[in-house]
Amino acid sequence: MTSIDNFLTLVNAEIGLNLGKEDIGRDFDQLAGWDSLHLLTLLTALEQATGHSVSMPDVLEATNLEDIYDLAVGT
Amino acid sequence: MADPTTTQPRAARADADRTTEAERATGPARATAPANENYGTEPAESLFDLHRRGRIAAEYPRVRTLLAGLAGADLVRAGQLLSRVPAGDVLAAHPGTPAATVAITGHSTVSPVVPALTAELARHGVLLRPWLGDFDSYVFDLSDPASDLYASGATVTTCLLDPTIVFDAVPTPWGPQDVEHALGEKISLLEQLVAAFEQHSSGTLVLNTIPLPRIYPAQLVGLRSRAQLGRVWREANARLLGLVERHRSLAVVDLEPVIGDGVAVREPRLAAYTKTQLSPGLLAAYAREAAHLIRATIGKTKKCLVLDLDNTVWGGVLGDDGLEGIEVSESYRGEAFRSFQKVAKQIGSQGVLLAAVSKNDAEPVHRALTEHPQMTLRNADFVRVVANWGPKHDNLRTLADDLNLNVDSFVFADDSAYERGLVKRELPDVTVLALGTDPATHLVALLTDGWFDALAVTDEDRARTGMYRRELARREVRQNFTSIEDYLADLAIEVTLAPAGPGQYDRVSQTTLRTNQFNLTAERLAPAQIQARAEDPAGLVLTIHSRDRFGDNGMVGAVLAHTEGPRLVIDNFLLSCRVFSRGIEQSCLSALLRHAATSGLAEAIGRYRPTAKNRKVADFYPANGFTALAEPGAGPPPEPLAEPDESTVFRHDLASVAEIPPYLAMTAHLEGAPQ
Repeated sequence: MTSIDNFLTLVNAEIGLNLGKEDIGRDFDQLAGWDSLHLLTLLTALEQATGHSVSMPDVLEATNLEDIYDLAVGT
Repeated sequence: MADPTTTQPRAARADADRTTEAERATGPARATAPANENYGTEPAESLFDLHRRGRIAAEYPRVRTLLAGLAGADLVRAGQLLSRVPAGDVLAAHPGTPAATVAITGHSTVSPVVPALTAELARHGVLLRPWLGDFDSYVFDLSDPASDLYASGATVTTCLLDPTIVFDAVPTPWGPQDVEHALGEKISLLEQLVAAFEQHSSGTLVLNTIPLPRIYPAQLVGLRSRAQLGRVWREANARLLGLVERHRSLAVVDLEPVIGDGVAVREPRLAAYTKTQLSPGLLAAYAREAAHLIRATIGKTKKCLVLDLDNTVWGGVLGDDGLEGIEVSESYRGEAFRSFQKVAKQIGSQGVLLAAVSKNDAEPVHRALTEHPQMTLRNADFVRVVANWGPKHDNLRTLADDLNLNVDSFVFADDSAYERGLVKRELPDVTVLALGTDPATHLVALLTDGWFDALAVTDEDRARTGMYRRELARREVRQNFTSIEDYLADLAIEVTLAPAGPGQYDRVSQTTLRTNQFNLTAERLAPAQIQARAEDPAGLVLTIHSRDRFGDNGMVGAVLAHTEGPRLVIDNFLLSCRVFSRGIEQSCLSALLRHAATSGLAEAIGRYRPTAKNRKVADFYPANGFTALAEPGAGPPPEPLAEPDESTVFRHDLASVAEIPPYLAMTAHLEGAPQ
């Protein structure tokens, strides 16, 4: 996971959405087609892509994709 | 841009223990994927490309082919993409797409099964219209006749059972007796729910055995207690499996063999944080089993397993290695081929036709299958052995014509990628199984999918290969007659039309599921629905049996009808493609109409609903004295057949019923039929 672009590609590929950069900081409840279960799909994919585990409770508490990106890249 | 998860190597994880469990929980292992061609990123990327361009609905017919190349995590991901596309969008673009409404309920979070089931059904070309129950709502959904579940009109209802259905009902701390008590209550409750389901739905209910992950027995430190827990748990699952013997509408997916193959029952974080009690891997395996069951209930039946011979059925190349040189036993590889032959024979004994299509000279193949002392499969196990040098797709087409089957009912297994590729390109409707170079994996490739799964296997199934072989013999005799009448007279056909007994409900149901060509409405009925019609005082479920000088054909068709006042309504008329055009259909219709007339009825009504495969019977009713009442689209057809579809409704006034052909001996037992 080297960039936010990679991250977005992964999000769209895994979840089946067509999100752009402008959606990164948007609350999940404002994302068309978002479902809380998508977080889990995404988490599994992120762990496979980055090679380290990501805290599921933290992911479940995230309010937007940017939070998740930060959790995944460990900033 | 490429999908990062497929371009980066799978990295080691920090927590080694969890890695093992998480990987086992992710999906069917790649090692079990030899049945999938082109494994890798190409079909996955094509599908993602369709998704990115918003073209999945528009290009839906391509999806099935793309999915045939996917396995494991790629298939799970494909399910995510496909489940985002509303079924209505696909049907709007491709109105003929087969679709199945499936209700999904259960004790814990059930929605994660939707993507998996979407992908698994799409592999069969079937579109999923899911109806999802709320969290832990299965008791309400199944017991209340006014529930949304019943209102969904689902063809198949799945109720996902997981271990917390039991462990949520025991105190802390608990012992094996507490579990035994809770299990007893839950299985009794489930039995009541099955009975309620049978009252309120005409569909099929799918339960599953309840898996017992190690975290439960491991909480008992006494080994004797642990043994007791294992016993009461298995007894409860045995009770659950036993329910299918009393309930025709019920199927129980046994998860134990799946788990035995190394699929983790649970993923600890999903269980803890999201109340998804079954792992994604187990849900994927469950979805695969359920999809085959759904495929069977909507009439998409696979009927014929076509095997290559060299390096598929035996080791080596017969033309090069000779009869003595091929491997079928008594060597490492020989024993592996023998195991595969045994499995093929096993499948063939249950109503699946076996055929061989091989690039070989015919004579040595015949000798190998008759004279080789160690051969397990013999000529008589095959409905036909085709050995020549023609392209396999041509041979498959000819075979389908001769058996009067459609190639979409064929499953073709070959070790040669070249042959598989050609068949896939020329006959995309054939299911193609990729056999690897190691014969030990052949039977895994054959059995990974339940291609031939059926709700029940009947006596006719067990005799099917012999019946088709006799039919091929009839064809050869027929070529020696100058007129079809002479041929038919020579056949000495005897037909019996009689009400179905309870022992035949499975077989009649299966006829509605398997028959595509001579099927006037393509209405698919489960055994319980057949039973309900047969037990209805106004209903009529008739079976058609035929025999001739070549032998007994067994049950070859069925007529479903009911009376409404002075009217006989023929709900459907079905006949096996093996016995078309011998006067059997006309004779049975005439016998039924004559019975209606002598019973004092005033008219008979029949309906034809066109499908992709039943065009040849479009004129069945008009050719037999019926007149069309309403053309498709010419306003609503008269009651009781009002349905917004492309049906044509026909009427017969019973004044003049056609004679039964003189060459055929007809026996009709309709005395007990409603009048």
